[in-house]
Amino acid sequence: MTVRRLKVALAGNPNAGKSTVFNALTGAHQHVGNWPGKTVEKKEGYFQHRDLLVEIVDLPGTYSLSAYSPEERIAQEFVTAEHPDLVVNVVDASNLERNLYLTAQLIEIGAPLIIVLNMADIAEQLGYKIDVERFSQLLGVPVLQTAASKGTGMAALKDLIYRAAENPAAFTPPPAALQYEHEMERAVRQLTAALEALPDLGGYRSRWLAIKLIENDAQAVEVLRNLPGGEGVLALLPKILEKLQRVYGDEVDIALADARYGFVRGLTRQTLTLPHCPPRTVSDRIDQIVTHRWLGIPLFLFLMYLVFNLVQNVSAPYMDWIDGVISGPVSAWTLAALHALHASPWLVSLVMDGAIAGVGSVMVFIPSLMVMFFTLAFMEDSGYLARAAFVMDKAMGFLGLNGRAFIPMILGFGCNVPAVYATRTIENRAARILTGLLIPFMSCSARLPVYVVFGMALFGKDAGLVVWALYLVGIVTAALAGWALSRWVLPEVRHSVFVLELPRYRLPTLQGLWLHTWEHTWEFIRKAGTVILGIAVLLWFLLNLPWGVQNPRESYFGQISATIAPVFTPAGFGTWQAAGSLISGFVAKEVVISTMSQIYIGEEEAAAPPPLELHPLDDLKNIAVDFGAATLDAGKSFLEALTPGVRLFSAEEDDASNQTALSRALSQVFTPLSALAFLIYVLLYTPCMATVAAQAQEYGWRWAVFSVLLGLTPAWALAVAVFQIGRLLGVG
Amino acid sequence: MSVTKRVPLSKLAPGEKGVIVAIRSRGPLRRRLLDMGLVRGETVFVERVAPLGDPIEYAVKGSHLSLRRKDAADIIVEIAETEGVYAAG
Repeated sequence: MTVRRLKVALAGNPNAGKSTVFNALTGAHQHVGNWPGKTVEKKEGYFQHRDLLVEIVDLPGTYSLSAYSPEERIAQEFVTAEHPDLVVNVVDASNLERNLYLTAQLIEIGAPLIIVLNMADIAEQLGYKIDVERFSQLLGVPVLQTAASKGTGMAALKDLIYRAAENPAAFTPPPAALQYEHEMERAVRQLTAALEALPDLGGYRSRWLAIKLIENDAQAVEVLRNLPGGEGVLALLPKILEKLQRVYGDEVDIALADARYGFVRGLTRQTLTLPHCPPRTVSDRIDQIVTHRWLGIPLFLFLMYLVFNLVQNVSAPYMDWIDGVISGPVSAWTLAALHALHASPWLVSLVMDGAIAGVGSVMVFIPSLMVMFFTLAFMEDSGYLARAAFVMDKAMGFLGLNGRAFIPMILGFGCNVPAVYATRTIENRAARILTGLLIPFMSCSARLPVYVVFGMALFGKDAGLVVWALYLVGIVTAALAGWALSRWVLPEVRHSVFVLELPRYRLPTLQGLWLHTWEHTWEFIRKAGTVILGIAVLLWFLLNLPWGVQNPRESYFGQISATIAPVFTPAGFGTWQAAGSLISGFVAKEVVISTMSQIYIGEEEAAAPPPLELHPLDDLKNIAVDFGAATLDAGKSFLEALTPGVRLFSAEEDDASNQTALSRALSQVFTPLSALAFLIYVLLYTPCMATVAAQAQEYGWRWAVFSVLLGLTPAWALAVAVFQIGRLLGVG
Repeated sequence: MSVTKRVPLSKLAPGEKGVIVAIRSRGPLRRRLLDMGLVRGETVFVERVAPLGDPIEYAVKGSHLSLRRKDAADIIVEIAETEGVYAAG
């Protein structure tokens, strides 16, 4: 049996359940990437139905097709230029009029089309009655009712797609399906005739090009410029537009929108019966509480507290578990394998201290990322995230940002890496980048141990105050940077449009949440993971070259540190040791303390020598048992998160003896003033390479490099200012 | 014929409604408003104001939208003169 292929594009409004249809059709056969050259997410998947292999591209959710926003342009270009064999338009049946505006534009394009009236169950609950047969007759294409979240209608949709492969003509909307009013229609026809006189239209439908030219759409104008004889048609345009302007004023775009909505109104009038008295929905009742004048903000802050706790604490036991597995069994097995192969000592060190340590530093982010992706997907899919943006919009205005930026910023206090990925929920690209640039100023939890060790060493009773002040300095710096960047670097932010749909609340599907979580975590491993691993290996080489180097001071790492050190002299910590720990802090703030221990107290890594005898079965059993214990701990954290202020389970005391030794050493080389300058530097400069890798993945390398400079500059300036002013005042 | 007057959409209070007569916004915002169903002749209901006083939630064509106050000010709606106004006048 030969397999035929069918290329299908899935189009629809945001919140119409497009992803749910996509997941229901493709299941696990999907993968997430980016559109070439864009930072807009591209989802592709496939399913096989009898002898037909159906490849589906999930287009970005849009309200319209135009060349205005990247999402709309991608959707429009894909449908018009990539020539999918079929377009499946997912429509929210409970919100027909607004959704059919996009349908009208798809009909103009003229590609083979199936209309899926999704969420038919909700429409029915609301008392809507839709005459599907009449609907299909009026549009000239097949129409189908589904409830994808329950799987209803998915088999019928697959059958229908199969039939489209057999007989595409029956799925192609007739050009007469959508007609405009007199003047507009006359202009469209005049241009269509001119276009049809051209030898070749490059596969575009003449009527669609005509409409888009009247709309002054950038893509259509571009297409015409590249067609033989196209300039001639473009030359006709001003006269036609002038005539239209006489009729419609300078509101030709409104007239076109009116015409499309007119078509939609005609359609719904003949096919949709509304209940006499619309019922007060559960969604309305939830909104009365969630966006309530007094309750709205406290409720939002409580939910944020919950999210923060989930991402931070519930994932922590799993991070320890991964850490344990990698530094325990995985290291032991690898070491045994290397010994068995008689690998040379340098190779053993490269694999153990470079590669495996690097893999470990990638893996350790996975639990918190998974929890973050899952939680945010739940909030987004349920409809709450839009309300959060509604409630917090005004509060974010002073940064030049909109309400959607609040959640990523808060997540930044836990870990900057998931926070950067969380900016995906911000629609506007400039606002997304600006938020991503400010996140590093949110003091993440990995910076806290550095503050604590220095606090213990040099600030005594005031340590708590110093830590609190550092968090505040981070927030103030973010505010100032946000103000400056939105003025001079990303002015688009101020002009960005903030029209937000508040979709009806609904219960997300577990399948959708899981697929979202897994696909995005995998993408992190693939993209950011390779960068992090590469830098870890590079750092190993710096520490171990030239060959046979013993003292870290003599290694390239030590030499580089010593070269950089004078830069920090005006800030009071111009030693190679301090510079070296800052360089290692670029890799991850977690290692600042361990690097300092190594350099300042010359202490060997306290890691126990791996056992030479291997017990693979015992190891596997322990991995499983520890995973169970981690799950138990995560469960406890979850319960504690739900009951703020109550400690249900007593925390174990940390063994702090090691840190005390370091604190003693530090109190001899730092003064309180130079320590404060150092801590301010640690707070403000690049949080870690994983954040940079995440920024590169999300915004491109140029912005990632910009972010590094944006951290280094105020970090240095403020550290120097604090040290110099402090000295003038005679402190320290 | 009932007496009507034209006001910016942002002046309406929760619970009130108006019919769109003009959209003075420009650029991407104007395009977005049209895409979201805010066209001439459409009735807009004011649902509620966000806790901090901005933005405002509107219902149009059966869906709910949030608009900032300054953006809603560029949408002109026609409202029926209320009896309260007569009493005051």
